[in-house]
Amino acid sequence: MRTMQRWFHGSACALLLLAITSVAFAAADIPQGPLVSTDWLAKNLDHPNIRIIEVSVNPGLYERGHIPGAVNFSWHRDLNDLVRRDIVSQENFEALLSQAGVGPDTTVILYGDTNNWFAAWGAWVFDIYGVDDVKLLDGGRAKWEAENLTLSTRAPEYAPTDFKVAEVNSALRARLPDVLAVVEGQSEAKLIDIRSADEFQGKIFAPPGVIELAVRAGHIPGAVNVPWVKAVNEDGTFKSPEELKKIYAEAGVDGGTPIITYCRIGERSSHTWFALTQLLGYEVRNYDGSWTEYGNTVGLPIENPAGTVWAAK
Amino acid sequence: MQTLKNFWIPLALILSVLGTAQILSDRPGGRALAFALLAGAVLGFVLQRSRFCFFCHARDFFERGDPRGLLAIALAIAVGTVGYHLILGSWLPVPMPGRLPPDAHIGPVSWALALAGAAFGLGMVISGSCISAHWYRLGEGSPVAPFALLGTMGGFVLGFITWNPLYTATIATAPVWWLPHGLGYGGSLLAQLGMLGLLAAGLWRTWPRAEPTPPPARFSEALRGLFVGRWPYWIGGLAVGLIGAFIILRLQPLGVTAALGGAARALAASQGWIPDRLEGLDGFGGCATAPAASWLTPNVLLIGGLVVGSLSAALASRQFEPRWPTGWDAGRGLLGGLLLGWGAMTGLGCTIGTLLSGTMAGAVSGWVFGAAMFFTLWLGLKIQALLFPAAPG
Repeated sequence: MRTMQRWFHGSACALLLLAITSVAFAAADIPQGPLVSTDWLAKNLDHPNIRIIEVSVNPGLYERGHIPGAVNFSWHRDLNDLVRRDIVSQENFEALLSQAGVGPDTTVILYGDTNNWFAAWGAWVFDIYGVDDVKLLDGGRAKWEAENLTLSTRAPEYAPTDFKVAEVNSALRARLPDVLAVVEGQSEAKLIDIRSADEFQGKIFAPPGVIELAVRAGHIPGAVNVPWVKAVNEDGTFKSPEELKKIYAEAGVDGGTPIITYCRIGERSSHTWFALTQLLGYEVRNYDGSWTEYGNTVGLPIENPAGTVWAAK
Repeated sequence: MQTLKNFWIPLALILSVLGTAQILSDRPGGRALAFALLAGAVLGFVLQRSRFCFFCHARDFFERGDPRGLLAIALAIAVGTVGYHLILGSWLPVPMPGRLPPDAHIGPVSWALALAGAAFGLGMVISGSCISAHWYRLGEGSPVAPFALLGTMGGFVLGFITWNPLYTATIATAPVWWLPHGLGYGGSLLAQLGMLGLLAAGLWRTWPRAEPTPPPARFSEALRGLFVGRWPYWIGGLAVGLIGAFIILRLQPLGVTAALGGAARALAASQGWIPDRLEGLDGFGGCATAPAASWLTPNVLLIGGLVVGSLSAALASRQFEPRWPTGWDAGRGLLGGLLLGWGAMTGLGCTIGTLLSGTMAGAVSGWVFGAAMFFTLWLGLKIQALLFPAAPG
């Protein structure tokens, strides 16, 4: 009987120890760096210090199955201002993160559809509003689904926090005058146009299937063209920093001078912004006005190698 | 020979649906397609076996006073309402003004919507069915259904042509009323079930007197009974309500016109028959006709599954009766189809998309479309009885 009791005692202690160490271990286990793998996330869904947030652009995706525990942020309604063309206001951003239960110790993990474009856009907005610890799920929603990992339809509810933005980092955002300064030779920044070669050359005004929102085709003078897709592997994960360095160096971008990324509306370019800032440590601003602002502005110089004339019969 | 037609062919059809679903689900992004095909096949089987047809159900009541079909429709909406409210309540926990659950069929309420419902009701009288029933009748070998569906495509093209003026005249500024915005989910559920209960109470008064049939004594008898005559009306209603709720959870709100409308739009756009830009159309919830990246969409597979499911049910029940169409079949199919198509395009869906999926979600647009449709259905049947006293069904 005594032996039995001692055995129980011993096992209970061992279990308790195991539980304590595993909790302590798990809490310290969040990988360093700007990316988390699907493999790590699948094993750490109930990690107490993470908040998974889906930013997808297609309606109904999150609702019909998301990574268990993930919160839904709408790119159109939550991360953009609903009236003027701008990112979400500081006040609304604070309310959004408070409602999602993001606190000072929370590591935010973003993921989404369409190659993480909108999730990367989210990461850029989070960075502007000074959220320290933001990571992307490498490969995004597509990789999670391709690996047949668990999905849930239940919307979680977290205890709200009182999230406050400490400092707004406007240096991550390029505005029209910043871009114009490069064009006029008053700034040494490098412009990277991450759209497709056909858009860059001015053969088309918008990607196939997308409404034409600019009345001129082409690109900003002096910009180099490195389509966003060059930064990823076939499964949607980012290429290694060494490979990335080589790809951008071939286009003359080595991080020696500041960089400005742009695309059509600024969401695909945040994907490249993420690769260059977070993976390579370069100094990069994302120009969210992008071609739909620059290409539509009256009187600015543009380059249009294809020579297309808008709406001309 | 009979065994081949009534057993082996339907079995082969069902196995081929299962096989195709398996192949689809192994392709990247193919799970939704496989689910759509299977759900469509089950829906087609159920629609055929229970003869769930809005037109026939309404005619049974208006002409013979038999309310069982309309009660089955009310039951479908009631069951679907509970399912939809459960699901939408989880998707959008707080129904805040300005926000709608993703892709639900909640549309603008305007006189254009009422006109759409009215045209749709007339189209049902002339062609003898609504769009969903024409799909399942295709599986029964109906000589009218192919013409009606062709006419529907033409009606969609007419709808695209009249869309822009209607949009600027009324649709653009029309309110998009969703009951949970004003009443909350609980209030919306109560209001809808209360309304359906009142309708049912009114309909029930003319329940036909019938001798009760004894239940089957043996399982084999019960099994055979599945393929004799038709299933009781209420089983069709219950099944359609449940399938509607399952499909919105896994796929998209149930609708049977998106693929047809999308094909009509692509064809008409390539011929330059319709405006390049259809104002605001693709921003509305409803049976979307926006061009898809691939022709292999969930809605195409849902419809394909529906026709094959109905065909196998019809064969197994000896109700597959194809015959050569007459000029009368073709004429009424095409003309009725034109009205069905115009109504479904302008109303952003048909009896399934706007009426069922819309009302189940708590959309006022579903009720308005339904009311207008049943009114002209009643009127059309009256006129038909005057013009053709012995009109065939």
